Amino acid sequence: MGILKRKGEAYTVPAGKTLEQALRELGILPETVLAVRDGRILPLSHRLEEGEELELVDVISGG
Amino acid sequence: MRCSVCGREAVIKLRHAGLRLCPEHLVARVEKEVASAIRRFRMFSPEERILVAISGGKDSLALWHILAELGYRVDGLYIDLGIAGYSAPSREASEDFARARGLTLHVVSLAAELGASLDELTRLARGKTCSLCGTVKRYLMNKLAWEGEYQALATGHNLDDEAATLLGNVLRWDEGYLARQYPVLPGEGKLVRKVKPLVFLSEREMAAYCLIRGIEYLYQDCPHAEGARSIALKDVLNRLEDRYPSTKISFLRQFLKVRDRFRPPAPVVLHDCPSCGMPTAAEGPCRFCRLKDTVARHASRVTEDRGAAA
Repeated sequence: MGILKRKGEAYTVPAGKTLEQALRELGILPETVLAVRDGRILPLSHRLEEGEELELVDVISGG
Repeated sequence: MRCSVCGREAVIKLRHAGLRLCPEHLVARVEKEVASAIRRFRMFSPEERILVAISGGKDSLALWHILAELGYRVDGLYIDLGIAGYSAPSREASEDFARARGLTLHVVSLAAELGASLDELTRLARGKTCSLCGTVKRYLMNKLAWEGEYQALATGHNLDDEAATLLGNVLRWDEGYLARQYPVLPGEGKLVRKVKPLVFLSEREMAAYCLIRGIEYLYQDCPHAEGARSIALKDVLNRLEDRYPSTKISFLRQFLKVRDRFRPPAPVVLHDCPSCGMPTAAEGPCRFCRLKDTVARHASRVTEDRGAAA
């Protein structure tokens, strides 16, 4: 299992899925976030690894 | 996934541009696009002084960073609107950014200029918060750019902002707004030229640029933006973009080709506000001075009530 953190929420997703697959299953449009690990951006094609934790940064600003 | 430019590992795929980019080439693309927009729309020259409107968010800080990197004479302007839980961290992010880079940031407070914060103004004046906010920000940005003798006022409006504004204007067929929507609005009298150098860069690119460049911006959205129409418009466009890549860039680029067909309902004649001397589209006090008067009248009533109670 991997963990995606977004705005204080944590989502558990199966390891082996790509980020794009995981985001779509969570109902998040892939292009509206950036996945970051240790300050580095990961591509949407990145396959989630067991125990991996990624932060999702929203790119759409409001107002 | 390999970078379309150098073949190294890419971190971002820009479907609308047909590119996969590594961090180095994403940075290069963003800076090149900014330089290209400045040239193409003749936004300003290297000799001119530019004031960037800073919010503490990704777009304005990135724009300031890029213009400084490109060697332009650029300062920042932060307007402290006094929004509870939001203005303090956004001001801190802006001040930290300027301090770390040795850049000049002018900070003005709405409470000092108007007599009330945006939160207070929302309770006192008619109109929606976002509309009032737009009015006071536009006024103060222009006034301070004019008084500071800057030749252009730059804002961090990006492709997503511009496409959402365009969709909103089209849905209302607002010819006046359509005629005025352009990456550069020429100055006239005391109206300072306004420019949008990020016009062809997506929010995704700008967020990635900040992360790669180590620009620490405020992630938080304005609390008043919740439920805002602009967010709903962006959501519609993002859903379309997901199914049909390049929707946003094509929408905006094609509009810019036909924009000349739109005309404002009547030519705008500018008058000097009798109170502050700044330009206004109607005769009599400008909207900012009228809001200031509303705030002052309220303050005076409160003082009278307190006097009567004592």
